[in-house]
Amino acid sequence: MAPDTPPHSPQMPASGSPAHGPGHDPMQTEQNVYANVYHALIIGMLISTALFIWGLIQALRHPMTIPLTRKWIQQQYHWSIFWQGLRHAQPTPILLLATLILVLTPVLRVASSIYAFWVDKDYKYTVVTGIVFGVIVLTVILSRLGLH
Amino acid sequence: MYFGWTFVLALLGSAVFAGFFGALLGVGGGIFIVPIMVLLFHLHMKIAVAASIVSVIATSNAGGSSYVDQRISNLRLAMFLEIATTLGALSGSVLALYLRQWIMLLLFALMLAYMAWAAFTTRNLDDRRIAQGDFARVQPDRLSSFLDLRGTYHDIAARQDVEYVANGTPIGTGISYFAGMASGLLGVGGGVIKVSAMNRYMNVPMKVAVGTSKLMIGVTAAVSSILFFLAGWIHFYVVAPVAVGTTAGATLGTMVMNRLHSAILKWIFTALMIYLAYSMFTRALAMHYHLHLPTLD
Repeated sequence: MAPDTPPHSPQMPASGSPAHGPGHDPMQTEQNVYANVYHALIIGMLISTALFIWGLIQALRHPMTIPLTRKWIQQQYHWSIFWQGLRHAQPTPILLLATLILVLTPVLRVASSIYAFWVDKDYKYTVVTGIVFGVIVLTVILSRLGLH
Repeated sequence: MYFGWTFVLALLGSAVFAGFFGALLGVGGGIFIVPIMVLLFHLHMKIAVAASIVSVIATSNAGGSSYVDQRISNLRLAMFLEIATTLGALSGSVLALYLRQWIMLLLFALMLAYMAWAAFTTRNLDDRRIAQGDFARVQPDRLSSFLDLRGTYHDIAARQDVEYVANGTPIGTGISYFAGMASGLLGVGGGVIKVSAMNRYMNVPMKVAVGTSKLMIGVTAAVSSILFFLAGWIHFYVVAPVAVGTTAGATLGTMVMNRLHSAILKWIFTALMIYLAYSMFTRALAMHYHLHLPTLD
């Protein structure tokens, strides 16, 4: 999805002609909203890459043996361990945070698209996008219910 | 696993390679990085799949925007098919949690073999269809007319605006579900399957299909990633070099893609895919049946 593609005209996507015409009509304003959201998401992606690199550098300053097990991974999923580690710039919570930001970026894209379609009064596609968001929520619920 | 410079640089280098050549071939990095992690780094198949699917998000974020800028992607079609791909990704990754490792290896080998075959049988017949205006001359089915799945894009090569009407939504949706499932189960983007479904069965021009597929990959991969994350299969120390490497490789690959001769590339990569398919196949047999077939190592 790309929130910077305005979903207003029934003939989407528009032709290759420049989409940004002169004037300050509501469409233009909405397009700017999508563009802003889109740029925010690109920044989110860059932040996660930067965090990955920082985490790797931190880890390589003190090379160590890391268990390759699910048990070890799940031990890192505690808020107290996470925050304390982050405060001390430990590599594991930095890499965990980078992964989380990366994984949640597309979710944010879906959420912003629901908003964009709603603003456009395109209720058919608000529902379609809402269903996609519903699948994401279902995934979280199923995981929390205990898939192992 | 000893996490030192050797491991990180080797995995990072492999990921750059996978991302770079994946982009050249237009298949994404997952198809190469999963076998590399399993065969070269001896990582658990599920850790490899989970790391790969997270890196798919990174590459899709980095690469997909140019199609949107050029207004080639069809946002509505992407949104609609995403219902099917995310549901597929959910079922694929649930399946991955429960399947044995050797069966996943076997399925990956089968997918590689299919991709190698598809690389040669998929032919771009769009030029003739664009010239004859065939894409616009199709009757939409009920669902595609209800959801207004149509569009126009400017084809630079053909120097004209190309209008198209999507049809065949039931079969397109069905195939998209399986593409999502392959993505969640095997840690790949599944773009090739979606593109051929849209182009062959839904009357969508090739370029629109590629651009639309790229939009869908990030969200599809996010669903599987959330599931793998909560199940504890995403190893951050494996994900970091893989995500950074594939993104860098894919960005480089996209930049040089148009300057290279694609026919020779296709031959080289088909050979590589067949080699990886065979290696994954022999590893699966060795793992489960202790049957050691000759390898090419």
